[in-house]
Amino acid sequence: MEIQEIEKRVKKVVSQVLNVPEDTIKQGSRFVEDLGAESIQSLELVAGFESEFDISMEEDAALNIKTVEKAIEFIKKYVDAK
Amino acid sequence: MNLIERFLEKAKSLDRRIVFPEGNDERIVEAAAFIEKEKIGHPILLGNKQKIHEHLLKLNLSPDNISIIEPKSSPYFHELTELYAARRKNVSMAIAERLLCRELIFGGMLISANKADCLVAGASNTTANVIQSAALTIGYQDDVSTASSFFIMVLPENKILFYADCAVNIDPDVKQLSEIGITTARSFKKLIGEEPKVAFLSFSTKGSANHPLVDKVTQAVQLAKSKDPTIDLDGEFQADTALVKQVAEKKLKESGSVAGIANILIFPDLNSGNIAYKLTQYLAKAEAYGPVLQGFRCPVSDLSRGAKVKDIVGVSAITSLQV
Repeated sequence: MEIQEIEKRVKKVVSQVLNVPEDTIKQGSRFVEDLGAESIQSLELVAGFESEFDISMEEDAALNIKTVEKAIEFIKKYVDAK
Repeated sequence: MNLIERFLEKAKSLDRRIVFPEGNDERIVEAAAFIEKEKIGHPILLGNKQKIHEHLLKLNLSPDNISIIEPKSSPYFHELTELYAARRKNVSMAIAERLLCRELIFGGMLISANKADCLVAGASNTTANVIQSAALTIGYQDDVSTASSFFIMVLPENKILFYADCAVNIDPDVKQLSEIGITTARSFKKLIGEEPKVAFLSFSTKGSANHPLVDKVTQAVQLAKSKDPTIDLDGEFQADTALVKQVAEKKLKESGSVAGIANILIFPDLNSGNIAYKLTQYLAKAEAYGPVLQGFRCPVSDLSRGAKVKDIVGVSAITSLQV
């Protein structure tokens, strides 16, 4: 899967779970500071990415991701390994 | 009979349903089997059935009386998934299904749906993960916005003190500090059965020093008093004023109903709380039980990753007494 496609789908999930417009989500956006995520929503974001890409991520590492850009990079590794 | 033995005896009369989301951990399986055998509670193990059976066989224990649930194949799975998605408006059924496959989330939803009474985890999950999962599923008490924790300190002369928060909140703000005082008082009343006397600690006693760090404590005391006027709480106090009657009488014009006889010490931050409990443990030879989580609608405990079977049994008893 192309990185642009991953980015598009990551933004779709973030928009849905955090209830923010997709066009306000940038690569450098931080989930908590820029997109208003509560810390408890990180579990829902991880589950959202897993559902969208049909992958299972290493939870502790996934929960430590703070930005959209890092999420895209992290998910790409799992998508490529499929 | 030591304090934990007393808790175990008391728990036997309550027969609480204790959910253990980390059923794949051998220590948890052994602890659950002991709890069932001794009738301390009714354990519900979450995890892979075959793996749990193998653990039980290895330990020469029978799986007959132990409830084991595999979240994904459980008859509750769909019901709990729907319940979760209905509560969290931004979460689709597909995301909720992914979440409910996680034992910590499934366990929390069992409690939320009144199919279990309390939850014990943390043997193989981080504290943050336990707290976040519980916050998403069980939620906080009405007037509480954050999870916190306390330690039960048993001094050599069997005097019992609660210390909070020594494990979760690094630098609580005024609101969080006030909540820590209130929830610890409630936990004390439930577990020990005596009237809580809550002292908010500082390096200052009733204005003896001026500093923003002191202001935080005095404001937390005021806020806590306004939130729950039924609790005996006071401060800011230095530790000796809180604990020693003669010092309180000397330092205060009116010592009130807490100074000198406090049984709960609220520390202004994690530095002071964590240092104090370890100093009490090692220099005063006190036994320290905890950290016990608090603030959720139903009790949740966070085990240490290195917890031994007897620790898990003890924490389970403490947790079941908080229901």
